[in-house]
Amino acid sequence: MELRNIEAIIKPGTPHFVGDGFRVYNFIPKAGQLSMQRMDPFIMMDYHADFYFPPSAKPKGVGAHPHRGFETVTIVYKGKLAHHDSSGNSGVIGEGDIQWMTAASGILHQEYHEQEFSKTGGNVHMVQLWVNLPARDKKSKPKYQDISKDTVGKYTLPEQNGTIEVIAGSYMNVKGPAFTFTPIHLLHAKLHKGGIAVFDFPAYFNTGLLVIEGNIRINDNRIAATNEFVLLENKGTTFTVEANEQAIILVFSGEPINEPIVSQGPFVMNTHEELNDAFMDYNMGRFGFMDE
Amino acid sequence: MYLKENMGMTATEIARLLPRLHKKSVSKNTFLLRQGDQCPNAFFVESGLLRSYTIDDTGKDHIIQFAPENWFISDRSSAYFHEPSLVFIEAIEDSMVIVLDQYYNDFIREIPSYKEKNEMLLQNHIRHLQNRINALLGATAEARYLDFIRLYPSVSLRVPQWMIASYLGVTPESLSRVRKDLANRHYR
Repeated sequence: MELRNIEAIIKPGTPHFVGDGFRVYNFIPKAGQLSMQRMDPFIMMDYHADFYFPPSAKPKGVGAHPHRGFETVTIVYKGKLAHHDSSGNSGVIGEGDIQWMTAASGILHQEYHEQEFSKTGGNVHMVQLWVNLPARDKKSKPKYQDISKDTVGKYTLPEQNGTIEVIAGSYMNVKGPAFTFTPIHLLHAKLHKGGIAVFDFPAYFNTGLLVIEGNIRINDNRIAATNEFVLLENKGTTFTVEANEQAIILVFSGEPINEPIVSQGPFVMNTHEELNDAFMDYNMGRFGFMDE
Repeated sequence: MYLKENMGMTATEIARLLPRLHKKSVSKNTFLLRQGDQCPNAFFVESGLLRSYTIDDTGKDHIIQFAPENWFISDRSSAYFHEPSLVFIEAIEDSMVIVLDQYYNDFIREIPSYKEKNEMLLQNHIRHLQNRINALLGATAEARYLDFIRLYPSVSLRVPQWMIASYLGVTPESLSRVRKDLANRHYR
């Protein structure tokens, strides 16, 4: 139960557009020291801070693109997203929903604002987190896990402090519904003003927080504001979060996979040969076909 | 590093050359060269992606070459023959290039291995251009596409489809048909 201190608090940099539908701040791997190796198994985090999109007849989004070798976790706070892939799978992710997509051996898909949402316009607020897979699982069969606000694990903190919602891993005795290939905890801390939560993860698990809403104090010591990323050290296990004002915090902690990472764009493999194979497979149509 | 491997330069030669070369950052959609300009420089792509292209009388783009990481790009008319450039050179992504100016040209001509290495590079380039002319004259859309993905494995994921079609000298519809056809044969 040794205290775990903050390694860095990182403000969002300059946003960029993914396609025409997603205006994101990249934290992992481009901000500060948040490299793929430092944050293993969390190899990418794009944060879509709250942003208004005016009505659009044609849904905005990002055109067909592949993924191989990892999982994408999409968490929607505001807005409604749709997706479909080259195998015919499709779905809608609304407020409070989480899509845990295991791309593994390969998925070709499109992601865009849902049709009706596009017509009325509205705010989009979401996170996309990429979770690496160990070598033995990179070629496994692609699959989806759809998790809603009703199926997350819920732990009510004592004394009206708030709630911890568990997507994957566990908090106290409450487990999250998501299956993960390696040990990972992915939680939301929803704290009332003045609410406190204590977190305890193994020191060697790479651990961070993202302040989705509100303003927090960590370890009675440092403040992190909305849209800021907090990196915790790999020393000590325990840290506390107190909400200076009502807050929603995304908390993630995972066991590093510690295998070589050879990546380019949407492919995250272990060797250059595997990376070259991924490009060749995509170019030769082995991921399927979708109109751009 | 490219210079060592392909030009056979020694560490000492590289150490003399590198401080004299300057890098240029080029934002997405900005130009390094426009048609009609005179520019004595060639460019080596350290990071990012560029294209060289012409625009015909109907306003249509024709892409001559892509230049991802570790590729050279230039207009020969301008760089070697000091004539007005035939092409535009534009960044498709935010890029970092090394400017290969007259100092670089004079320097490498003094390298002992230059003659042999440069001859090899030029012959290889001519062979590549002959193959490309041949493909553009008579090859099927699929054959052109297969050549393209062998030469530029990652570019298909970094540029819109119309640019690939422009490079191949086919319509975007033909390219789409080729890719769909390949998927029908190879998917699952």
